[in-house]
Amino acid sequence: MSTSTTFEESTTEVTDRILSQVTQPEISIRVDNVTVSFKTPKGIYTAVKDIDLTVNKGEIVALIGHSGCGKSTLMGTISGMVKPSAGQVYANDKKVEAPGPDRGIVFQNYSLLPWLTVYKNIEVAVQSALKDLSSAEWNKLVEANLRMVNLWEHKDKLPGQLSGGMKQRVAIARAFAINPKILLLDEPFGALDALTKSAMHVELLKLWNLDNREKTIVMVTHDIEEAIFLADKVVVMNNGPAATIREIVEVPLKRPRNKKDIVHDPKYMEIHDRLLGLLIDKFSIDDER
Amino acid sequence: MKQLLSAKTTSSVLYFLAGIFIMGGIWALIAKLTKGEIPDPSSTWVVFKEVIKQPFQNDSDQKGIGTKLLSSLGRVAIGFGLGSLFAVPIGLVMGSSKIAMRILNPMVQILKPVSPLAWFPLGLAIFQDSPKASVFMIFICCLWPTLINAAFGASNVPQDHKNVSKAFGFSTWKYLSKILVPFSLPHIITGLRLSIGIAWMVIVAGEMLSGGTGLGNFVWEEGFNGGNTAKILVAIIIIGLVGSLLDRCFTWLQQKFSYAL
Ligand SMILES: Nc1ncnc2c1ncn2[C@@H]1O[C@H](COP(=O)(O)OP(=O)(O)OP(=O)(O)O)[C@@H](O)[C@H]1O
Ligand SMILES: [Mg+2]
Repeated sequence: MSTSTTFEESTTEVTDRILSQVTQPEISIRVDNVTVSFKTPKGIYTAVKDIDLTVNKGEIVALIGHSGCGKSTLMGTISGMVKPSAGQVYANDKKVEAPGPDRGIVFQNYSLLPWLTVYKNIEVAVQSALKDLSSAEWNKLVEANLRMVNLWEHKDKLPGQLSGGMKQRVAIARAFAINPKILLLDEPFGALDALTKSAMHVELLKLWNLDNREKTIVMVTHDIEEAIFLADKVVVMNNGPAATIREIVEVPLKRPRNKKDIVHDPKYMEIHDRLLGLLIDKFSIDDER
Repeated sequence: MKQLLSAKTTSSVLYFLAGIFIMGGIWALIAKLTKGEIPDPSSTWVVFKEVIKQPFQNDSDQKGIGTKLLSSLGRVAIGFGLGSLFAVPIGLVMGSSKIAMRILNPMVQILKPVSPLAWFPLGLAIFQDSPKASVFMIFICCLWPTLINAAFGASNVPQDHKNVSKAFGFSTWKYLSKILVPFSLPHIITGLRLSIGIAWMVIVAGEMLSGGTGLGNFVWEEGFNGGNTAKILVAIIIIGLVGSLLDRCFTWLQQKFSYAL
């Protein structure tokens, strides 16, 4: 008797939760009217202006725009590295004031510590971000993530002895290892060959699935195919200065997505053309100038 | 490859010998011009062999050159060690904090150009002991290069590294041990290298002032007062050799701790 009530209770709870998710999805990141200006010797330079963006929990969002338009800057406001000049950012229901291990970052320039081996680079991050674990658990995390990016054999090398793509994979392993609720990836696969890139896409989605698709991922990319394959929505930015969001393109393709099949989907082609149009349109304006 | 390497070493040995030969020629010429006031290389060599005959003799009235060398090195080691112990942390604090930099930098700038010898009488006044005053002088002169270089290193930690520390929530200790110190280390070693060089120069002057066992005392008492110029030359050679050896050690350290970025 008592078991059946709990069962009933829990089912209603679950349905409630599902319902509430359908009607009102949980918000993971809210960028609220954010403007970022930098003081430069030549005066104040406004990189991005009046940005509004809401990312729901478990969503994958791709950020696309021309070089220098302010993608990294926008990512910086979410990670807490960059202070908005106006507006605010909320992540995991807290106002972003500083960086924190609830938001894992893959930096555009890898940012590995050159005096630490590959292994130590990840170990030190894991030790700092997950203070409560035992050292055996730390070691396990480091090993698992290094194996994921296929760098276990290179664990004792220094970053100076790695190729660009290898460094990038170390940075990815480091961000994944701390298992953050939000992953912020700034061109995480930019330096990888097509084959490794595809493998990393699969790993990223695997990780996301493992976590019941509750992890929120924001990634900057220059690769339209990558954006469509991975993302739920693609945020296209205008050119700077004072860049704004030009358009947010939804990607309503069913998951799991298959790289080979997806390209024949008419919806895929439609989105692809739309994104290409948004980006190339700007090329032509640039040409006219 | 091996042959190439040995060819390279052979040639550098040859160049070294050529340099020695030219030096010796000039030396001999000066000896001739001063009519033996400055002894020539061969008679200096005779004195040299005599001086190093019983290097570690340690009687109260007669001490070997090795004993004197070690006692000079000992003073340098203590002064340099203590100086570095202060200079490295203070330098790192100065480099990391703008406030500390603003408070300390003016003092450093004023004290740094003071000749180390000017600190000797002060040391004498404090310790009432001339060997201790020499150590004090070494201590002071070892502070500045290390402090300034450590501060330079610490103030130049790249933003990327700081971002890593912030993003992954490094503790202060982790930041110090995994970012600040490793990044500043090459600069600190440069500072140490400059410091030991100055210390080695200053100790001879200090010992000439202070007396007691040491190379400076050897130069002054046995060389100058004893009217034996050859001993001065022997001392100069020994001081030079030991100084360059010390420098070598720190160059080696420098290479060991430079990273490919
Ligand atoms: N710290 C800073 N000080 C001054 N200007 C800055 C600073 N950081 C970024 N900017 C400027 O803001 C603009 C946007 O830079 P941002 O790095 O966000 O571009 P991005 O979209 O990430 O470019 P890319 O695709 O090349 O990485 C650029 O014009 C850049 O010069
Ligand atoms: Mg960028």
